[in-house]
Amino acid sequence: MSEEGATELLPPHISADFYLWLWYSSEVKNGKFTLEDGSALEVYLDDRLALRETGDDRPTTLLTGDSPGTTPEARAAVSGGKVPKELRLLIRREDREYHVTLRGSRVGIAQAKLPTQVKTGEVLEVLLDRMFVYEELHWLVAALLRQFAVERVSESWRSSVVPAMREWLLPLDASGSGG
Amino acid sequence: MGILKGALSGRRYRIVGDVPEGFTDDYIHALNTNQLREPQSPTHKGEVAGWCQVHNLLDVDFQDINLWLYNHYALFALRVDKKTVPAKLLRAHLQKRMEAWCKQNNRPKVPAAVKEELRETLELEMLQKTLPRVQTWEIVWNMTEQWAVFTNDSELPNERFQKLFLRTFGLRAIPWSPLDELAGTEGLPEALVSTGATDVRGGGR
Repeated sequence: MSEEGATELLPPHISADFYLWLWYSSEVKNGKFTLEDGSALEVYLDDRLALRETGDDRPTTLLTGDSPGTTPEARAAVSGGKVPKELRLLIRREDREYHVTLRGSRVGIAQAKLPTQVKTGEVLEVLLDRMFVYEELHWLVAALLRQFAVERVSESWRSSVVPAMREWLLPLDASGSGG
Repeated sequence: MGILKGALSGRRYRIVGDVPEGFTDDYIHALNTNQLREPQSPTHKGEVAGWCQVHNLLDVDFQDINLWLYNHYALFALRVDKKTVPAKLLRAHLQKRMEAWCKQNNRPKVPAAVKEELRETLELEMLQKTLPRVQTWEIVWNMTEQWAVFTNDSELPNERFQKLFLRTFGLRAIPWSPLDELAGTEGLPEALVSTGATDVRGGGR
């Protein structure tokens, strides 16, 4: 890896695939993920989803409100060739709940609402508390990304994940299975 | 929103290079050397940038480490002041000045040289009355794990942060995304690079 890091090397479709995988997996697994260290994690699409045309960096579809990923508009947009550019997640680990937006090809962490314990008081205490949970959030996103990456480069991506995603994207009345 | 309260947004950086032993005196000096310096003249036009404290943007002295160094975290802010005259307002006032000049000198038109002189005088007058637009973005730097967060996600402020950080501490700040964590798994980034875009269009067909 160069000093500039992986961001400089990876093509932009990797982040779009990651966002799609998060969205798909959170729905089909009812939010339940298991990390590489065996710990449990819950991940849900929160209240914002932005999609773009492939080859265009500007978002052209923006869905907000409760569970935007479950709307027919969101699935139709992906079925029609759009890819996720930004999504807001609710991530829950033990009793800590994070709300965070993942954005762009760098998988930037934005608008992170952190489950801090120390709200006021000495700067040092507030800072240490916030940095602890910020670090955990960064680690969780990286862990999810690693899990995605391993699946993305495996043979099963084309043979089973992509077909399952296509099935998942079917309109409810067309799939006949409710999903 | 920022490091100490509210939702946290921004770019994360990896800091390349070691923090020297007994760095505090050197870094106090470095931060003070690159602190925000307000222009001497009230008619100064354009931007000035430098470090300030997160607690109050008017505090630009870093002598007291208790105000910016918290265990292994350095906490400070980039302040950028920009002073400009509103172009439309300048044009409108200039029009009035030119009309007055024509009347006073009984001339139908203002010569170009005079117009420029009137414009410069007017701009200086307006700059004296104008307050700068002040922006600040916080930085937290974990000096033992060598990463930092800059609380802005736009290109220009981030470039400015990287340049000033390098000039101040002699250390490079390299953008660091969660994608960079993949580098720890041998062969994974290279395998990802070779993948094509996933096409799920026409679900089920």
